[in-house]
Parts: sequence; C-alpha cells; structure tokens
Amino acid sequence: MFAELLRFELRYWLKAVMVWVFMVILGSLVFAATSTDQVTIGGSIGNTHRNAPYVIGTFYSIMGIFSMLMTTAFVNSAASRDFQYGTHQMVFSTPLKKAHYLLGRFIGSTLVAVIPMLGISVGMILAGFMPWIDAQRFGPIHWDAHLQGILTFALPNTFFVAAIVFVIAVLTRSTMASFLGTLVLLVGYIVTDVLTEDLDNERLAMLLDPFAIRTYSIMTKYWTVAERNTRALGWEGMMLANRLIWTGAGLVIFLLGYQRFSFSERSKKSKSAELESAEPAAIDIPVAQVSEGKATAWSQFAGLLKFEFWGLVKSTSFIVIMAAALMNTIPSIIFSAKEGYGNSSYPVTYFIVEVIQGSLYLFTISMITYYAGLLVWRERDARMDEIEDVTPSPTFIRYAAKFTALMGIMAILQAIMMLVGISTQTWLGYTRYQIGLYASKLFIYDFSFFVFLAVLAFFVHVLSPNKYVGYFGFVIFLVANAFVWDPLDVATRLVKYGSRPSYTYSDFFGYAPYFLTWWAFTLYWALFALLLCALTAVLWPRGKETALRIRWRNWQGEMRTAAMALGGLFLVFGAWLYYNNAVLNKLVGPKTALERQAQYEKKYKQYQKMTLPRITAIRYDIDIYPERRALRMKADQELVNNSNEAISSVHMVLDQNFDYDIQIDGARLESFDRDYGYQIYKLDPDMQPGEKRRMRYTVTREPRGIENSVRVMQLVQNGTFFNNGIAPQLGYQPEGELNDRNERRKRGLPEKDLMPALERDCTKNCMNTYLSNHSDWVSVETVISTSPDQIAVAPGSLLREWNDGGRRYFHYKVDKDSLNFYSFISAKYEVARGEWNGVKTEVYYHHEHPWNVEKMMRSIHLALDYCTKNFGPYMHKQARIIEFPRISTFAQAFPGTMPYSESIGFIARLEKPDDIDMVQYVVVHEMAHQWWAHQVIGANMQGATALSEMLAQYSSLMVMEHQYGRDQMRKFLEYEVDRYLSGRGRERLKERPLLTVEAQQGYIHYQKASAAIYYLKEMIGEDAVNRALRKTVERFAYAQPPYPTSHHLIDALREETPEHLRYLIRDLFEDITLFANRTVEATAKKRADGQYDVSIEVESKKLKADADGNEKECAMDDYVDIGAFAKPKDGKRYGETLYRERVKLQAGKRKFQFVTKEAPEKAGIDPFRLLIDRVPSDNLKKVSLSD
Amino acid sequence: MELRINALSKTYVNGVKALDNVTLTVPPGMYGLLGQDGAGKSTLMRTIATLQEADGGEVTLGDLNVLMDKDGVRRLLGYLPQDFGVYPRVSAYEMLDHLALLKGVSAAKQRKELVEAMLQKVNLWEHRKKALTGYSGGMRQRFGIAQALLGNPKLLIVDEPTAGLDPGERNRFYNLLAEIGESVIVILSTHIVEDVMELCSKMAILHRGRVFFEGGPEDAVNALAGKVYMRKIAKAELKDYEARYKVISSKMVAGQPLIHVFSEDPLEDGFSLANPSLEDVFFTKIGGLN
Repeated sequence: MFAELLRFELRYWLKAVMVWVFMVILGSLVFAATSTDQVTIGGSIGNTHRNAPYVIGTFYSIMGIFSMLMTTAFVNSAASRDFQYGTHQMVFSTPLKKAHYLLGRFIGSTLVAVIPMLGISVGMILAGFMPWIDAQRFGPIHWDAHLQGILTFALPNTFFVAAIVFVIAVLTRSTMASFLGTLVLLVGYIVTDVLTEDLDNERLAMLLDPFAIRTYSIMTKYWTVAERNTRALGWEGMMLANRLIWTGAGLVIFLLGYQRFSFSERSKKSKSAELESAEPAAIDIPVAQVSEGKATAWSQFAGLLKFEFWGLVKSTSFIVIMAAALMNTIPSIIFSAKEGYGNSSYPVTYFIVEVIQGSLYLFTISMITYYAGLLVWRERDARMDEIEDVTPSPTFIRYAAKFTALMGIMAILQAIMMLVGISTQTWLGYTRYQIGLYASKLFIYDFSFFVFLAVLAFFVHVLSPNKYVGYFGFVIFLVANAFVWDPLDVATRLVKYGSRPSYTYSDFFGYAPYFLTWWAFTLYWALFALLLCALTAVLWPRGKETALRIRWRNWQGEMRTAAMALGGLFLVFGAWLYYNNAVLNKLVGPKTALERQAQYEKKYKQYQKMTLPRITAIRYDIDIYPERRALRMKADQELVNNSNEAISSVHMVLDQNFDYDIQIDGARLESFDRDYGYQIYKLDPDMQPGEKRRMRYTVTREPRGIENSVRVMQLVQNGTFFNNGIAPQLGYQPEGELNDRNERRKRGLPEKDLMPALERDCTKNCMNTYLSNHSDWVSVETVISTSPDQIAVAPGSLLREWNDGGRRYFHYKVDKDSLNFYSFISAKYEVARGEWNGVKTEVYYHHEHPWNVEKMMRSIHLALDYCTKNFGPYMHKQARIIEFPRISTFAQAFPGTMPYSESIGFIARLEKPDDIDMVQYVVVHEMAHQWWAHQVIGANMQGATALSEMLAQYSSLMVMEHQYGRDQMRKFLEYEVDRYLSGRGRERLKERPLLTVEAQQGYIHYQKASAAIYYLKEMIGEDAVNRALRKTVERFAYAQPPYPTSHHLIDALREETPEHLRYLIRDLFEDITLFANRTVEATAKKRADGQYDVSIEVESKKLKADADGNEKECAMDDYVDIGAFAKPKDGKRYGETLYRERVKLQAGKRKFQFVTKEAPEKAGIDPFRLLIDRVPSDNLKKVSLSD
Repeated sequence: MELRINALSKTYVNGVKALDNVTLTVPPGMYGLLGQDGAGKSTLMRTIATLQEADGGEVTLGDLNVLMDKDGVRRLLGYLPQDFGVYPRVSAYEMLDHLALLKGVSAAKQRKELVEAMLQKVNLWEHRKKALTGYSGGMRQRFGIAQALLGNPKLLIVDEPTAGLDPGERNRFYNLLAEIGESVIVILSTHIVEDVMELCSKMAILHRGRVFFEGGPEDAVNALAGKVYMRKIAKAELKDYEARYKVISSKMVAGQPLIHVFSEDPLEDGFSLANPSLEDVFFTKIGGLN
C-alpha cells in the first residue's frame, strides 16, 4: 500500500514539467557560476578549483534557500491535491491507512523535491566540458563530493522544509497558507542570520543554522587551497550534530502534523436545513432595457475592468508574488544607501529609482509574463467561455479591460515603490524628493517597457493554441530578443523589440542628452505595439472555432484598415529612423566592431616602438556649444625631436567620433585608414634631432540626426567633461586594442601585453611614463568659450574672463610645465573659493550638492599642509575640485585640478563621528597625486603604479591618522585588507608583489599598498618614511627621462630602515607575504588591587605566496603587536586600548601575560590589523573572566 | 417569429459528420431535441448560439440570418451550455451582475433590480453572496438558467439541463421553464425522454447528425397505438427474439428481460399489447422500424 502510494507520487511528478524546469533553472545558474564570471554563488572562491569539493558543498548548502519555494510547490501540491481536485472523498473512503497515505505523499514529494537540486551537479559537471573554460581552474570530477552534497545538504534541508510545508498544507488545506508559511520561514532565516552574524560563540552558530550554511563555512574556514580541492565534508563533527538536530526537528514537526490529521471532512458550516420550495418565487422579472452603442461599451469596459482587476488581485499566486516582490525590494531600498567603507551617502532619488529597477523589475516582468497568460485564458480555463462568448458585448472591450487591469496593477506597484522611496528618504532625513524624477523614471521610462512587454505577451497568447505554448513562445522570444542580435552582428535597435537607448540620469542634465533618441525609438516601438494591439483585437478568440484564418476572416472593417494604416506608418517612420542611424551617422555591428579592434592591432602594432617627436607646448582655442552638444577645438602645438635619429614619418590615431583637420609643418598625409582612424604623415624634409616643428589641428563634433545609441557623453547640455584624449594622438595607442582574452584568442591575437618587466638601471626602456608615450612635461595655454550661463575650466591659472558675441570666454595658463594629461570642463557651477598660502583653493559644484563642499575645501588645505611640509613645494597657484556628471564614477588628479564624480564624495554623508571620512580620504589622495604622479612619475614598467598610488594612499592615511589618532586606523586597514584578499581571489593572471605590480592590479597598488606602507611607518616611524619620500621628490620631481622606477622608491625606503628591520622591505614590497595569526585563548583574573591579570595564548604563522596563489610556510621572526581592549562605550566602535605591546614572534604558539587597569573585553594578537592576515576575524578573542 | 434551420451541415476535421442536412422549423414555445450522446445536439445548439461555424445550409430567426449576423442573434439569445465551470472567488451575485452588464444592461440601478429579482426567482437569494465554486450541482444549474434568462431573450437554448439533477431539482427547473413567456422560442436538448414528454409541444429526433422525426410528441405516441407489444422472456432467448421480431427495446424487470416489439399486425405467442411511450417512438424511429 505504502509502496504503491510512493510509486504513484513519483510517477505523477516525474511526468510533470515543473520538476525538470526547476532542474534546468538550478543547473543553468550553477553552470554559469562555474564556467563564467557573470554569476557568483556564495562569494569569491579565490584560487580554489572551480569545481572543487569545497565549491560543490558551498553551492549545495546555499541552493537550499533557493529551492525552498520549489519544495513548497511540490509538497503543498502533494498534500492538498486530493482536496483540491475533490478526489479526497474517493480516496479517503478506501481502506487506506493514515500512515501509508501521509507517508506515501510526503516521502514521495520530498524525494521529488530533491531532484531539481541534482541540477547543481549536472550544471557543474557540464561546465567542465565547455570549450571556453580555463582548464587550469578545473580539477577532476569528485563524485564523492557530489554525493556528500546531496546527503549533507539536499536531502536534510529539503526534508526540513518539506516537513513544515506538509504540516501546514495538510492542516490548513490552503495553498496560500503553505506559500506564506515558506516566505515567513525564509524571512525569518535571513533575519536571524543577520542578527547572529557577530556571534562570538561559534559552536552555537553552527548548531542554530537549519540549512547548515554557516556551519559549513565555519568548519571550512581554515582549510587550505589544497584541502578545498580534495576534501568533501560529510556528516562529521559539528555538521553531524547540526544535521541530527534539524532532521530531528523536521521529524517532530511531521509527527505533529501526522497526529492532527484526520480523514474526516472538515465540519462545514451547518447547511441551513430549510426545505427549498419547488416553486419558483412568485415575482416578476423586470424587463431590463438592453442597450448598445458607445455609452454602453464604456460602462461594460469599466465593469469588466473592475472584474478582471479584482480577479487578479484576489488570486493566491498574485498575493504570494507581490509579497515576495515587496519583501525583496523594500529592504533593498532601505539598506542600499550605503557607499564604501560602510559609510552612507544621501539617499538621492536617482539612486533609489535604480535600486527599484534592480530589485523589482525581475518580478514585474515575471508578473507580466504570468498574468498575461492567466488573463487571456481565464474564460477558457474556467470553462465560462461559452456563456461569455454569446453575450452581445464587443470583443475588443474584453481585450481592453484585461490589458488595462494588468497595466493598472503594474502602475499601482510603481506607485507603491515611489511611496516607499519617499518614505525612506524622509525617514533618513532627506527631503529633496525630486518627484518629477520619480514620476518620469517609474511611469514613463520604465513603464513604457512594461507596456511593450504586455502588448507582446497578449499577442503571443492570442495566437497560441494553449496557455503553455503561449508562455513558452513568449519566454523564448524574450530570450532570443536579448541574445540573438550580437552574434548576428546586428546593432540597430530597429529590429530589437522594445529597444531604446540606455541612459544614465544626472542631476546635471536630467535626461536631456538622451531625450531625442529615446523618444524617437519609443515612438517607433509604440507604433509597432499599436499594430500588435490591433492584430490582437482582430484575432481575439471567441466561440469554438479557433483556427486563426477563420478569426481573421470574421473581423472586417475598421480594425483591419486601422491595422494596415498603422503598419504603413510604422514602416515609413522606421525607414526615416534608419536613415538617421545608419546614413547620417555610423552604425557598426558589434562583431564588426570587435573585428576592427583586432585588425587595428594586427596592422599597426608593429609601429608601437617607433621614434616620434614629442609635444612640448600647446595653445588651445576651444569653443563649446552645450545646448547642441557640439565642440570645436583648435590647437597649435610645438613638436620636438628629442631623439638622436632623424624622424621621417609621424603616425596619428584619431577618435572615430570626431572630425579632424590636421596640418604639420613640412609633412603631407600619406595614408588615412578611416576604419581605424589611423593616419600616416610623411615628413619632407626629415625632422632632425633637436629640430622643432609646429602642428596645428582642429577637432570638431557636430551632432547629426538621431543616433542608434547616444554616444560622446563627454559633450552634454550641462556638465561637459572631456580630456585631451580627443586630440589626435601621436603614435600607435595600445588602449585601442581588444581587452577580452576570449575575443583575442578567437581572432588569433596573442595575450595582451603586460607592462614591461622591471629593470634596475634602465635607460632606453624608461624614456616613457606609464601615462603617455608622446610627451614629457608640456606648457599649456587655453582660451575656452562656452554659453554665458556656464563656467568653463581648463588647466592652470585663470588669467582673464570676458563676454563677447553672446558667449563667455576664459583664458587659462598652466603655472609650471606638467604632464600632458588634463581635462576641459563646462557647466553651470557654484564656486566655493578659499586660499592657502597664496594658492587659490576652489570647489566647483552643482548648486544642489552643497553638503560636502566645505569638507572638501578643508581637506584640500589639510593635504597641502601635510604634503608641502613633508614632501616638497606645490608648484601650481591653484587647487581645484570640479564636480562632473555621474556618467563616470571616479575621481582623478590632473595638474592643479581634481575632477570628482557627482555620485561619490559630493553625496557622501557622514553619520557617526568615528566613521571613516570618505570625502577627506579621497580628496587628500587626489591632492597627494599632485606630488606622486604629477611631480614624480614612474616609467612605463612594472611597479610604476606603486610609486603613484601607494604614496597617494600613504598621504591620505597619514592625514587621517593625525586627525583621528592611531587607534582608529584599524577600521580603515581592516577594510583595505579585506578588499585585497577578495581581489586576490579574482586575479586571473598572476599576483605580483608591490615592487612589480601591474597597472591593472588595483587591489594591490591601492589596498595592499595601504597596509604595507602603513605597517612600515609603524615600524620605522613617520619621520623616516617621509625622509625617504622627500629625497625621492628632490631627485625626481619634474625630471626629464629616463623616468624613475619602483626600485628608486624602495631603495630610498630601505636606506631609512635600520638593519634589523630590513627584512620588512623584502616582505612588504618584494614578496607576497601573509600571516595566519589567531588568538587561541584569552583569560583574565581580577587582582586584589582592582587591576586585572590578563593571559593570552596566540598562534602565529607566516606564509609566502607565489604568483599562482600557492602558499608556503616560511620562517618567522617578526614584530607583532599584542593588546587588550575595554568594552566600547555606547555608540563607539572600539573600546579603550588597555594594553599594547610590540613583541618579536616566531611561528607557533606562545603565551603572554600582562596587566590592565580595568576588565578587558577583548584581547589578542595584531589587534590594529597591521599585518595582512588570511583570516583576520580571529585575531582578537573575547576575554573570559575568572574569579 | 420562427427559427428555421435549412439543410445545415457540419463535418469536423476528423471526418465525423456532426450535422447532416438538418432541416427543422422551431415555432415559439418549448421545442425538444431528443437524441443520444453524440447525436449532434450540442453541435446544433452551439451553431445556432453563434459559437460554431457550419459547412453548409442556413438558419434564420425571423428576418435575421443567424450564421452571418452573429451580433444580431446575441442580442436576442439566452444560452445555457451543457457543461460550464465557474470563476474561483466570485459570488453568484457578482457573476450575474457581470453577465447582465455584458448583455447590455448598462444602467446600474436597473441591473441591480434585474439581478436581485432573478436570484429570488431561482431561489438562490440566500446563497447570493457565496462563491459559485461552493454550489451544488442543482444550484449551479439554477444559476445557469438565471443567467440565460437575463435580458429577456427571444431565443432560449438549453443544452441537456437536467442531466445529473435529482428529481426535486429537475422539478424546480421545469417549473422555471414553464413560466417563460409563450412568445419565446425555447430549444431544449436532452436524452431524457420524460423531459420532452412533459414540457414540449414539438420535438425532433436527432441521430448521427440526421433528423429522424419532427412533430408533436403526443401525435407521435398516438400513432404507435396498437402497434407495440411487450413480453417477458428469458435472458438466453433474447437473441432469438431479436432475429424473429422487430425488437424496439429490452429492459430488465426483476431480473428478467422485458422486450417491446413493434408490429403492424397483432401478435400472439405470449405477447401483450403495450401502451406506447415516447421512448418507443424514439427507438422505432432511429431503428427505422416505422
């Protein structure tokens, strides 16, 4: 009996599509996570194999959460199926034992619910066979690990959830209750997880997690890469305890439900025992007036709209999906206004609407997909269609009402989100709501896409013979529409349904630059959507004849002509748009674009090392036309042949988005390869060594017509920001090459060049900086004009400002010859002006972003204070911070100027006084670059960025230390080291030590560099470090080539380091060094005099890593801090430092004793995080007090 | 106004001839369409109700061309299908109101009066707020006829309305139908012979898509007077009798077959004269025995 029930259950489900669909979904996610970098599950895995047993375990444990809803679907269905379909009376009157029935259904559905989880294994194994994977990152298939994943996670976790769902389903007999129960469980789990994050008692944490995710991560925390690649965790140790507890809990819950279940009918409310009369009531049916025509149609529409709307809203699936959508989006909105270093920024509206987009719209699209089907098939699913179809109401009213109901629900959802956003902003004390932005983004930009989707969904369903074909067809279409065009090398939006150009909102220009293009394509697709609407109305099913041709034949008249008229209009408009996109402007397919990049390299890289003249002086005349997004830049520059050979030709690389007119003295244009913007000029006569020549050029941009995508966002209505990269570039530029490894391999290109290897005493190879290959130090003078209501900024001091002919002019000149690397800006600015020792300090900002301007000004002064005192003089007469639109989100340093993005710094908001001041940190960093990069600049060689970035970080750290004190630095260092460690995990090539760091290894030259240089300062003292830096500035500031290398810096530091500490130079800069420090035990005992005897046992290990991440233990004899801290006062992050001592440690365990004046809360090793530790969280331990 | 069906034919894609040259004349009043399952009754009903197309023939309702002017028909039509479902979480009141609106009763007050009166008429007033999914079979049918009667239809098509109803419900249903005005054309399709006998003034017998008889039920029964004989036989003898006589039907009575036989001439040999019933008419017609 039981066996039969079990078999029935299994057979029932194995035929159901749902099981396999879920399996495909899970499998695809894991497949993508294993074989690509687009999806990550459970965080970075570092250097572990991508299919390692450790990874398998992680995936299985985490997917338990994902599959909760799946399990609910299966188990609930099994438990309530008999009631739902009314077979319960049949089934329960058989001689069925309760045990067999419940167990059969339960075990059957639980087993089935496990099947989709197998998709994890399938996905991962399949991924290993894909041609595009990096075979080095994959190990052999570990079948035992897959088996353990199922036994340790899939089965017990599913069992636990199934038990809960089963009991709810069987007792309430309500599908809604089951799903809501699961949602509550899910939310409860997440909340508990967050609350117990800082739990010091790991044992408890390991036992309390019903899905064993935390248990697993704690148990594998210390596993080395080798262990992770081979060991699979099973029912052992704490995992065994956890599994027993929660499986037991599941069993108890199941038994509870089992006991309370009964076969008998629920006592319905007693039917009134009236005997209904056999005679119809003796009343007359009033003769109702039946009408038709427009007014009737309207009231029918209104009534139908209400009917369909409430029909949707009251359904179970809607309530559940809405609940899930809200539960996902609302917390996202509330918690997301945070930015770097755990600080927050002002909850600006553009950010909130983007969070809404990111967290809600997947649900919105799912709802449209699902409900379009429900709505179109509603009558037929309920078998009400025959009754409805014979009423005299017009067909298209039904379509209109259903469509409006769906869109109405979507609109209400958007409105709710808007309210949530505004409430959140108010709650956080921010009242600049920008309602217009909410309205336009939520109800026009995003909503239009929903409308297009819904129109298409209805159309597909109307054409389909049944609901499932409709769903399938719609989803396939969406997926194809998203992914098929790139491989086909098609770039035009005109074929991609609903496609409009992407855009980024900025407070500077709203949506102005995108306006024309966006609306043109919206109108285009709206016409098409209207056409689809007309066709949908014509083909709407009515009656029993469902063949499409019959439906088409039956609908004559206005709808048909309307459809044809719309079709014609659509085609005409499309043709005009295409003319704009492809004839007036350039339109290149995506594959062609990549191909061109490859060709550029194949044809011209041979000229990379060619000797070319250098630019020494430039005079610019720039006219910016913001309203038109147009530009004319004229330049007159001096070229010098600094080499000792004659130069016979000059190569130029032009930007394809601009037009150029170039003239070089004594040169003529020999070739112009327009596909790549590559020009070759023949010099006649040759340019002799030491000879100077003039080059004049004009760069123009004048927008024509409507482009396919909005480009050249450097030129906008407000917030124009471009650098001299748009000038014709002298010589082959490697930036134009293809970057993606796979794309390069496909086209037969070798691996992309890394930086040249570091040389000690280089001459010929150090003639270029890493920033430029065509100039050294140049003098720059600019006359720049713009609209009268904007301010234009160019590098250097402002000599003169005047108005002429309705335009505003500015004349700038750079105070000292600098790097040929600067920007030109024009916008409507407010300017804050200050002064520091004769230097003009200015902040140019958007009038609605004043919050941090004063702090920025102060930070500039702090930076100038520290850097001039410790490194050398500041050569410019101005220091400017200039805000630019958030098209890019960086801050940069140019000579005397620092452009700073709108969405960092300017909107930062410091809440707690001991939070890290992000604004100050970045401003000082960028100001420090005025020395480290704009005075001392490294040669184009490995390690060059260490010279610039590490020292900029150092300057920022020191200013911070002077302000907040040494004890606060650990918060910063924690964060830096954390990011360094995760960066290591993502390294695709080889990790390098600081001495030879590559230009793109930001996690090393920013994050690791901070920790390294700070630790050195701790050991040899601030004065020593600054002496080394000052010497470097004296020697290399504004030096002519050959340029310095990282060796020069490290040598200088080594000179200032005492002999016994010289090992540090090697550890910090020449090797990759890590520690594994932890505190094993910490106890304290109160003494008679009220002080405390503290005793700690610590363990240390020192490791060195190679470029591939293999770590080897090495001898240790290092200085490490130990310390103890009191309990933090209310609102403070750190407690008072009760004890701090620097000790010399070797590898292994060691005990220390010391005295503190009050009870310590935590004690341990390296409490200030000076060393880079593989697992930093175990450095300090809670002190257990004994009496 | 009459409903005239002239040479109506329909063949499904699988080759089944659902309607084969059907010609009928339906005057105002109750018209019964009698036939077994698969005879073509529902196809005929659905075609007249504008839900299906025909391959040939024409149907007129007064001046209206039913097959061409679907909207015209729908304005006069009330239809109770053989099999219908209900929307979940919708009450009888809401559903009736919804359908009344769709039928064109756009004035809210009038609609309210109409719906309430209709609910009382079919004795569903106490249950009007309950969800239709909770209705018993009989209540469902009452709802069905209620919606069909909305908007005072001139043509009422009722497809197998009493199948599965207990005698009490059936009774109630007949009483409702009987109250319908004399100027309304009511086509009632059924395989229950008593329905036709009790209610209809004219009937037709449909079998395998063809009309085997059209006329008044009483006249048809009277025409068989004296020509129907009955006899109790043993089970084993059945085949023998079927070969020798024109057996109309055979029923079990107390475990033994009781056969009805058609004969123009008097029969001896243990046969007794039977009072002919409409059932006899049915089987004789489709059997081609008369």
